[in-house]
Amino acid sequence: MSNTTPCLEFDHVSISYTRRLGDGKRSTFKAVKDVTFSLDKGGTLGIAGESGSGKSTLAMASLRLLPKNAKVEGTIRINGTDVNELSWGKLRALRWTEESIVFQGAMSSLNPVQKVREQIDEALRIHVKQKPQYASESARAKRINELLADVDLPVSKGDSYPHQLSGGQRQRVMIAMALACDPEIIIADEPTTALDVIVQAQILNLLKRLVAQHGLTLVVITHDLSVLADTCERIMVMKSGEIVETGESANVMTRPKHPYTKKLASAFPTIGDWSSRLKLPDYTAPDAPGDQGRTSRELAADGTPLAELTSEGDAKDAPIFQMQHVRVDFGSKSSVVHAVDDVTMDVYPHEIIALVGQSGSGKSTMARTLLGLQKPTGGDVKYEGAIFPRHKELKEFREHVQFVLQDPSGALNPKQTVYELVAEGPRIFRMDDEENIVYQALEEAGLSPASDYVDVLPQELSGGQRQRVVIAGALALHPKYLIADEPVASLDASARAGILALFLRFKHELGMGSFIITHDLGLAWNIADRVAVMYQGKIVEDGPAEQVLLHPQHPYTRKLLSVVPSHIAEEGIEEAEAAETATVPGAADAPAKVAAGTADHA
Amino acid sequence: MTADTTNATATPTASPTAGRAKPSAAEIRRRRIRRQLAQGWKAFSANTPGLIGLIVLLVVIAIAILAPVLVPSSTLDVTKVTAKAFEAPSSHALLGTDYTGRSLLGMLVWGARASLTVGFTATIMSTVIGTLIGMAAGHFHGVTQAVLMRVIDFFLVVPSLVLAITLSSIVGASLLTIIISIGVTSWAGTARLVRSETLTIEARPYIERAWALGASDWHIIVKHVLPAVMPIVLSNTTLAVGSSIIAESTMAFLGLGDPMVISWGSILKSAMDTGAATAGYWWYVIPPGIAIVIVVLAFTLVGRALEAVVNPTLRER
Repeated sequence: MSNTTPCLEFDHVSISYTRRLGDGKRSTFKAVKDVTFSLDKGGTLGIAGESGSGKSTLAMASLRLLPKNAKVEGTIRINGTDVNELSWGKLRALRWTEESIVFQGAMSSLNPVQKVREQIDEALRIHVKQKPQYASESARAKRINELLADVDLPVSKGDSYPHQLSGGQRQRVMIAMALACDPEIIIADEPTTALDVIVQAQILNLLKRLVAQHGLTLVVITHDLSVLADTCERIMVMKSGEIVETGESANVMTRPKHPYTKKLASAFPTIGDWSSRLKLPDYTAPDAPGDQGRTSRELAADGTPLAELTSEGDAKDAPIFQMQHVRVDFGSKSSVVHAVDDVTMDVYPHEIIALVGQSGSGKSTMARTLLGLQKPTGGDVKYEGAIFPRHKELKEFREHVQFVLQDPSGALNPKQTVYELVAEGPRIFRMDDEENIVYQALEEAGLSPASDYVDVLPQELSGGQRQRVVIAGALALHPKYLIADEPVASLDASARAGILALFLRFKHELGMGSFIITHDLGLAWNIADRVAVMYQGKIVEDGPAEQVLLHPQHPYTRKLLSVVPSHIAEEGIEEAEAAETATVPGAADAPAKVAAGTADHA
Repeated sequence: MTADTTNATATPTASPTAGRAKPSAAEIRRRRIRRQLAQGWKAFSANTPGLIGLIVLLVVIAIAILAPVLVPSSTLDVTKVTAKAFEAPSSHALLGTDYTGRSLLGMLVWGARASLTVGFTATIMSTVIGTLIGMAAGHFHGVTQAVLMRVIDFFLVVPSLVLAITLSSIVGASLLTIIISIGVTSWAGTARLVRSETLTIEARPYIERAWALGASDWHIIVKHVLPAVMPIVLSNTTLAVGSSIIAESTMAFLGLGDPMVISWGSILKSAMDTGAATAGYWWYVIPPGIAIVIVVLAFTLVGRALEAVVNPTLRER
């Protein structure tokens, strides 16, 4: 081992950013602190950490892609060459031919006005000097076809523009681009973030296959530990610029040593693990099952009937929402999209419903329809038995049903203080005693003591705290019901559990149910009483959480469950792969054959 | 979780507020505004060109305000002047005299009054119209928006010079005519700018949150859109004052202004009318020109600095 040079080597690397403050002074922020590691040819390494942990900075530093205000100390070597000492020309030659990057967010990393084929071509053209075999137009065209085939894209897709491709296809293009010049090292920066579970499984599988086929050295950067378990041999966990734990991936996943790793690992629960059912580090529901699951739960001494939680149990309450054959169409006559397609469903006031499905399945449209922000094209939405209010009564309705948005950073006006943000609702409704309401709402949302937060602007808070402000803003109106659209999707893993605990606590202590839109089945397992599965605008399965998640009936639910990362098994991926080939050409076919499972649990 | 749970006054976390005093709503608002102003000033004062521009402007404004004290109007009375016409600069007339023997320096000081008054009033007029119509055109949809956009388009192509000439031939040449014709014709650009900014802001999730909270159109415009467009309006206003001053000079030069009011444009006009420019009386032509350049440049510097405060990406790192 000692005589071979490692492929990629970081030797006591520290990176700091200098920022000029408003008054002309400079402040320095250390993003990476004394990181040392090396990776041999053909090795795979996963770097996990939350936003701000310095993991992306580390990746960019290896190709000297950092902005000018970053200062790198220590040495970074690629095949023995110190990257920081290279001349500009040599560095350019090294970029992409020896190491390439699969960037985060394929939509914004692709040029929207160029065909993807031309964009892959660009990488080849720039490096004609290093790769003379691609000097001619025809050789490059052949190479591009080869690359597209390598990432399982039909060659004809090369002539599409990025917006004509799905998220997964765009990510495949990014990977093809990274492979273009036959690099030895590929760095994948959050390759699956913002992708669906099913597509995520496909992309991870593709990366794994390419690594094996081409003998690549792969570095995967992500905030989601479970993504790494399957793709990487070794995992490195970073926290605020430092490495807190490194090890074989199986070891890190199953026996994390550092408390921070434990927290990351536990953020994504395993479905079927009773210790995480209705139980979160911050809050345990009074009716949470014991570690042994259902059996111990049935034996629970408090005498509450098991049925209390399920939708049947709540049927004694009148439903708060009734949807009857609701449909929402978008687009003109020629190309109508049925975002919500004939949905019939009752929602009860004291239950937590998780509506799960892939992106594009119509979940968010359904939430907006319930909130009255989107008018249904057909069918009726009834609120407390009456046809949905329009105009005047709509305002009154707003007081009772509140909305928690997906991205708390965008949902808060950056110019207002936390106090003003929470007070917005009470001010609209001219409520008395605004100050008490605001302070109480903040405390209820877990921002305690509230007086520490009232004066603060949202950008000074962490993602989890911002989401708590959004929730406090909703609570300030004393709503009966909450509708939340992916409330934890844009949050760091460590903030996730805290926010979910709030929903669980509101249900048990305030009697306030919630309708949670999510693509995260683990969330449903954590807190939901009832799970509804949505696929292409239709509800295909709806029932008590345990039943749906542990004994799924509909094939689509089974497919969703099979690709949850912590579950990834070989057969799961094969199934997903097969499903993709089936859905790529015709789009709508598979689910239509199955009788729509819109059955209500009456 | 039955009856008492609907009563949301029950605090679940039994955490009585810690010893610290609760600041009141007004107090929080005051503190925030003070903090935002301090931050804005900090960023502005780090911008040296902007600071220079601001100082120049303050000096010019002070001179304009103090004009009656610095140069008593009697010294500019044609019947009382003692100097000869077209005197070259000398110790008793620093910038020489005009065709009636008045001190050009004195006229320059008085000219600053008219130029700045027109610059500010015309700009405020166009900004107010532009901001209101721009926000409305960005916020509302359908017919309202279509009508407003067509109105904006109409004013975008109205030639201000022709309008001013027409106005002054109807109403009579005066400072007010100039102000109105600049104000009425120059707001369309502001409206388009504000509209596009409004559209970006309305696409933010916090607007959707406000709708879900039960907000009205008025609430959204006043509480969210207006504060968000204010900074860009402010920097745009500062830049617009410069162009208004140029427009005023142009119109005065063309003789659309009140002949009794001295402005930099009217000095230039009289220089041309009396053949001073061709006769080689440079002191008659150059100083008002330089005054216009300096003031417009100062406004531009301040405007650019404000723009950088508003939009940090414009600041160099």
